[in-house]
Formats: sequence, structure tokens, C-alpha cells
Amino acid sequence: MLVLRRRAGECVLIGDEIEIEVLAVTHQGAKIGIRAPKSTIVLRKELKITQEQNAQAAQGPAEADFRYTLEKLRPPAQERPPLPDKPTES
Amino acid sequence: MRSVETKYFGTLPCAEESVFEFPGGMPGFEGEKAFVLIETAESAPLVFLQSLTRANLCFLAFPIQVVDRDYALAVAPEDLEALDLETGRQPILGTEAVVLTLISLDDGFVASANLMAPVVLNVKTRRGLQAIRRDRLYSHQHPVPQQQEQTC
Repeated sequence: MLVLRRRAGECVLIGDEIEIEVLAVTHQGAKIGIRAPKSTIVLRKELKITQEQNAQAAQGPAEADFRYTLEKLRPPAQERPPLPDKPTES
Repeated sequence: MRSVETKYFGTLPCAEESVFEFPGGMPGFEGEKAFVLIETAESAPLVFLQSLTRANLCFLAFPIQVVDRDYALAVAPEDLEALDLETGRQPILGTEAVVLTLISLDDGFVASANLMAPVVLNVKTRRGLQAIRRDRLYSHQHPVPQQQEQTC
């Protein structure tokens, strides 16, 4: 990975058409601006990861495997959230 | 009462007030803007997030605390705002919000839970969205404990 140190107001060029400008840097993170052709898709990486993970989640079990899947996903007793305290008898 | 075509349960009656509106859809499914939460005694605590408009779109999900009982919620302020929840703090689970983690299965039926991007439902306004965390504290493929095959 190429690593560069840039300050607010400085830019990086990627190829002929993509420009990334560091707008501001605070303790919360860096604010960046991106200039790119409309045909270039710009996405936060975690959004892309979520899209892909959702696509996998959406497949789900086939109908024939549904009951089997339910059985497999039944949490073992020790994994269930603790029950509320038993009311003490007075 | 309207009815909903479901992926696993045939056609179910569906009260208007059991519908959750997802104004932005979900990443990868931006066009799906309404889901119903289906809970059955047989599958509990597993629940189902069924699209109202696409019958074959039904996510399997657990309440997030079933997968990680110490899960630290970190919904970004703009997501809280979109959900009509208070932006200065995290919502209270149960009374204000229901938080689900979507389950994925691989080819061998090994399940994982997306703890990086939980689905947050405002139980009062019945709005929902998938709230992607800004930090990297949780995995999008967190292993889910499963029943082992009986080998006897």
C-alpha cells in the first residue's frame, strides 16, 4: 500500500481523472473531498461490505432446508440471555 | 386487513401497524421500503424480516443480544435522526428500539451474524434502517453458535 502524509488543503491524484482533497483533519477523523467522473462509483467501503453481506443473507435457506436450519440455529441453553431473577417467595 | 406473501410461511395476514417502513431500503436492497417482522414460537428467538413487496426476500435475524449479550450499540447520530430517535444517546433496547442482526448461511449451513451493520427498528414510529457502524469493533461475519450434528 502506498502511504502518503497530506495536510488539510493538499490533494492526491489517481490517474488523470480522480482527485482526492483532504479538507480538514480533526480528532474525529479526516474529511475528504473526491472529484471523479460520474461513471466512477464512490462508496464508503463498509457500505459495499454491507451490500455484499446482505446479498448473502438474502439467499437464506431454501424452503426444503428451512426446518433443518431452524434446528441448527436454536441457541444452546447456555447461550441464551440470562433469565430475570426468580421472584423470591415471601 | 392486508395480507403479505412470505418466503417461508405462505400468505399471512398483516396488520398495518406491524409494518416497518425503511425509507432508504437496505444496502443492496434500496427499493425495498417496507418489511414485516415475523416471530414464531417454533423459531424463537430467531425472527424473520420479510419484505412486503418481494415475497422471496426474507432475512433471518436474531435480536442482537442473543448473539452477543454485551453488544455495545453505536448508532451514528444521523441514523438516530433518520429513525426519529434521540440523537444524544443510544436508544433503550426493548422500549425504544429493537436491534436485530442479520444471519447469513454459507454452503455448509454455517451461520454468521452481521454485527457491523445491525438493523435498528424504532418500535414507536415503526421506522427501520440498517445502521452501519463507523468503528471496526464488530465483524460483519461474526460466528453464530450452532447445534452440532448428532453423531451416535
